Amino acid sequence: MKKRVLALGTAACLVIGALSGCSFTGGTSGTTAGESSQSAGASQSASDKTTAPAAGNQVLSVYANAEIKTLVQWAASDSQSSMVNNNAFEGLLRLDEKNEAQPALAKSYDISDDKLTYTFHLRDGLQWSDGTPLTASDFVFSWLKQMSADATNGYSFIMTDYIVNGAEYNEGKASANDVGVKAVDDKTFQVTIKAPTPYFARLTVLCQFFPLNEAYVTSKGDQYGLSADNMIYCGPYVVSSYDPAVGATLKKNDKYWDAANVKIENAQVRVMKDASAALNAYLANELSQVALDSSNVAAYQKDPEFKSESEFRTEYLQFSLSNPVMKNKNIRKAVSAAIDRDTLAKVILADGSSASNGLVAEGMYGDGSKTFRELNGNLCPFNAEEAKKYWEEGCKELGETPTLTLLVRDDSVTKAVATYIQSELNKNLGIDITIDTKTVQARNELMDNDNYMFASTAWGADYDDAMTYLDLWTNGTPYRGSYQNENYNKLVNDARVETDDAKRLNMLLQAEKLLVDEDAIIAPLYHRGSATLTKSNVKGLVNHPFGPDVEFKYAYFE
Amino acid sequence: MDELFVRVHVDESEKEHIAHPNLTAFQEGWLRLKKNKAAVASLFTLIAIGLLALLAPVFSAYSYKETNYDIIYQVPSITHLFGTDQFGRDLWVRTWMGTRISLLIAFVAAFLDLTVGVVYGAVSALIGGKVDAVMQRFIEILVGIPHLIIVILLMMIMPAGIWTIVVALSITGWVNMARLVRAEILKLKNQEFVLAARVLGTSTSMIIWKHLIPNTVGVIVINAMFTIPSAIFTEAFLSFIGIGMQEPKASLGVLINNGYQVLRNFPHVLIFPAIVIVLIMVCFSILGDGLRDALDPRMRK
Amino acid sequence: MIKYICKRLIYLVLTLWVIVTATFFLMKKLPGSPFDAERFNMMSAQQQHVILEQYGLNESLPRQYVKYMGNILHGDFGTSFTYTGQKVSTVIGGRIGPSALIGLQAVLIGLAFGLILGIIAAWKHNSGIDYFTMIVAVLGVSVPNFVAAALLQYYVALKWGILPVGFWTDWRCSVLPSVALSFSATAMVARFIRTEMLEVLEQDYIITAKAKGLSPMKVLMRHAVRNSIIPVVTILGPIVVNLLTGSLAVENIYTIPGIGSLFVDSIKANDYSTIMGITIFYSAFYIFVVLIVDIAYSLIDPRIRLAAGREA
Repeated sequence: MKKRVLALGTAACLVIGALSGCSFTGGTSGTTAGESSQSAGASQSASDKTTAPAAGNQVLSVYANAEIKTLVQWAASDSQSSMVNNNAFEGLLRLDEKNEAQPALAKSYDISDDKLTYTFHLRDGLQWSDGTPLTASDFVFSWLKQMSADATNGYSFIMTDYIVNGAEYNEGKASANDVGVKAVDDKTFQVTIKAPTPYFARLTVLCQFFPLNEAYVTSKGDQYGLSADNMIYCGPYVVSSYDPAVGATLKKNDKYWDAANVKIENAQVRVMKDASAALNAYLANELSQVALDSSNVAAYQKDPEFKSESEFRTEYLQFSLSNPVMKNKNIRKAVSAAIDRDTLAKVILADGSSASNGLVAEGMYGDGSKTFRELNGNLCPFNAEEAKKYWEEGCKELGETPTLTLLVRDDSVTKAVATYIQSELNKNLGIDITIDTKTVQARNELMDNDNYMFASTAWGADYDDAMTYLDLWTNGTPYRGSYQNENYNKLVNDARVETDDAKRLNMLLQAEKLLVDEDAIIAPLYHRGSATLTKSNVKGLVNHPFGPDVEFKYAYFE
Repeated sequence: MDELFVRVHVDESEKEHIAHPNLTAFQEGWLRLKKNKAAVASLFTLIAIGLLALLAPVFSAYSYKETNYDIIYQVPSITHLFGTDQFGRDLWVRTWMGTRISLLIAFVAAFLDLTVGVVYGAVSALIGGKVDAVMQRFIEILVGIPHLIIVILLMMIMPAGIWTIVVALSITGWVNMARLVRAEILKLKNQEFVLAARVLGTSTSMIIWKHLIPNTVGVIVINAMFTIPSAIFTEAFLSFIGIGMQEPKASLGVLINNGYQVLRNFPHVLIFPAIVIVLIMVCFSILGDGLRDALDPRMRK
Repeated sequence: MIKYICKRLIYLVLTLWVIVTATFFLMKKLPGSPFDAERFNMMSAQQQHVILEQYGLNESLPRQYVKYMGNILHGDFGTSFTYTGQKVSTVIGGRIGPSALIGLQAVLIGLAFGLILGIIAAWKHNSGIDYFTMIVAVLGVSVPNFVAAALLQYYVALKWGILPVGFWTDWRCSVLPSVALSFSATAMVARFIRTEMLEVLEQDYIITAKAKGLSPMKVLMRHAVRNSIIPVVTILGPIVVNLLTGSLAVENIYTIPGIGSLFVDSIKANDYSTIMGITIFYSAFYIFVVLIVDIAYSLIDPRIRLAAGREA
């Protein structure tokens, strides 16, 4: 008997040995043993830092708060994927430290006089990480792919809305040759767009606009992008190992045109879904940068490593106009005016978020000297007395005091915001609202089926222009509150084709006023901010307020 | 000769007198339980926790959902015995409200366990044959699906709230009880005293009520005692991974989850609900042990 | 014996079939779609069609079911919705390792400490160590494992810096989660062994052995421990399964890419194919463990014979 137990124990130990072998070397996505030992080495050096913070050959280590779902660029839509892709790839332009778009793979570009044709001139000697030359046709291939029916990231509109025949190509009504993307020669890439778009060139910093090598992608078939060795790269880094659940390890790309200016050799993106766990890892010197949640901000905001920035992302309440209660404008205005956004941003969130005065996020492009937000002022001020008046008026019109149900998604920040709104409406309107917490999927279904009163949702800018927000309410879908206002649609559609920048801006300013103030279709709550700690020896790690999140290219160790 | 031995007169009624008071299994169990100091202490602690959960929110100046943004994350003091949370809500009240919800969930789960589980097990064992076989296959399937899968799937399909958690917990919770009751009754069915009763012509319902049920009570009570903490635990676990109560209501699991998020800077938010939940679990498991010893027929002397 | 195992295997397949069918239809009732609604709405009709076709979602439910059953018979569990293009079997396969490692380590720790504590406690009945064991046993099952995990992470990893906080890079990362998980196993085993030992120590053959003049150590090792260890096999099954499924919260805290978190994520994201894959894996594993335990039990304890007539 004893022998049997012993044998059992030995066997179990052997199994563990085998397991620890397999599970850390990650048999999943084709990680080879060599690469994983490197990642183990990375952690080794990270833990060495615990004792000697200034050890050499450091690894830049950041975390993603969700899995890196895919690196296939026409399938990826999450910010984790775009963070990795942005560091491993590059577009015609790239955002610099000041969030301005600067020439990248393109050394320059010309815009025709009618503002409809863009000609990009690629740099000399561009190469993929496997040594294949990078040419204009690589852009043609990837852009067409993004516009084709194969693209599953839902981002095709970002090209088809602008590029000539893009939408037709997507619907199968036009052939690839008719689409306004052309490789004039190996180093000249030409794009024809439908209407003048002042921000078009800036769009090309986005992941969807990165090039792809047709021959390589086609040869890999459906294996393309599933693991690090089934991809080639053109950005500052190459991905040396990738597992959706664990993260990605990045190594400097020697074939990158600007490799001389990439100072950090090794970087990694680790998946850590729990904010507290991430902070613990940061304090244990396992991460170079961490985002703080509100409960930790107070304790660290005097710390020299602390930094807080706002993102181009607005959290707002969407009212559903097909709901008999929310159809009443006074009720909507009452709810909007009853919420003190300053306390919400400073006390409840306290993570660098700012109270929102309108839909378009703080800091977004306006007329060059002033931001859009500064130009349009506060469209949804907090005023408890006004709110109460609106509410009583609304109740009179409805003939009853309605019970409100707020639909929210189930992450901890949104739940806290919902609890805050509940208490504000209780205090200022004297009503008890019900909070309905659902998973993102379930919440979306309820909204799509027009089965909600008002819901908390958010929108992050895809590019630095108010249009990224305002064109969302032109289609009248239930998800956008079934809002149909011809004046609004006219303003936005006219702005799309307006060539005069000042007139265009004016239209957009009016549209926002209409949406938030006059019609009160939405009640903006806050612009999300990020409060981060960055290790004092890490410099130049840039967090962009929109698009790809963390930029490694400019970072260096001190 | 006859005088040497006098026949003692014995009263006929005295002859049948039983010196030991006639005690039911429960009374006897209670007598033995009383000797187990740890179990008695647990019982009183549980009663105290129950009373606090019932009364503390009533007699407090604060309500569990009353927010005050001037006093967020206050450490425990005279005014706020357990401190305050992110919204300046009084944690003393919230903890006891949470305890109330956790206990409610536990008792309802245990009650369903008692009714559904006991009836299912008893029916299965008593009828036997084909019915028993079918009922057992059904249980095997239920057991085969990991408990957590069913609970989580149900939680996602039904509207969130206390009753959903209760239903989700009791859908699989009774299985263990049913199996135990069935096994116990099967065992009893063939024992001599039941046979004797049968031979004496006792009706089936009499046998069920007078013999089978009283003899399974021990197993049932003990199992229920272990169901309660596991229900509390499962609820806390579900809330911890984010699929439980809706704000502003809070169970102990929700409170612990909130506390874990801010553990580094405001440990008091985690500590009090954690202490209460551990206390409840400890008391129930000691009490359960005590009851098992007290009701175990082998321990009778 | 072989007949019995065959019978059990048939039941196993039947049970699995019922579970798969039930989960399949239950899962389709989950609110929402497996695609991100915001993005899905932005796709053109063509793209929506292509993606639905790709996952076979544009067919009727019974058809989808028949197709799915056909596929799993060929060992094809489909493609994950969340991880574009990745095979479900690959995704799950990659996640089993970490969970299994932690689970196994926790079982081993639990067994080792549980056995030692339980045996000593019974041997020195009513002594200090006995009371200590009982306290450990009660606390072990009473402290929720996520509370233990959070506290261990905070103190051992962060305050004292002995072990890594999170990440899944080398073996040291698996120590704390395993320890956090092992508490309940330790408690269960210790308590179980103690009760069994106490019973065995009162048996006649122990008294006989003592009367023969065997040294107390020999009595303990040769007779008492040997006979009280057998029943541990019965609780081992549930412990193993609990650890595999119950490690979810711990996986979150230590950011372990395990199967528990994958499961909850897949449900939240309506990743149908992954939900099905994990359900099948869990259930099969569970039923299999129960079967193995039953068989092992009959092999170890000669008094129990798996006669065909015995009810499972």
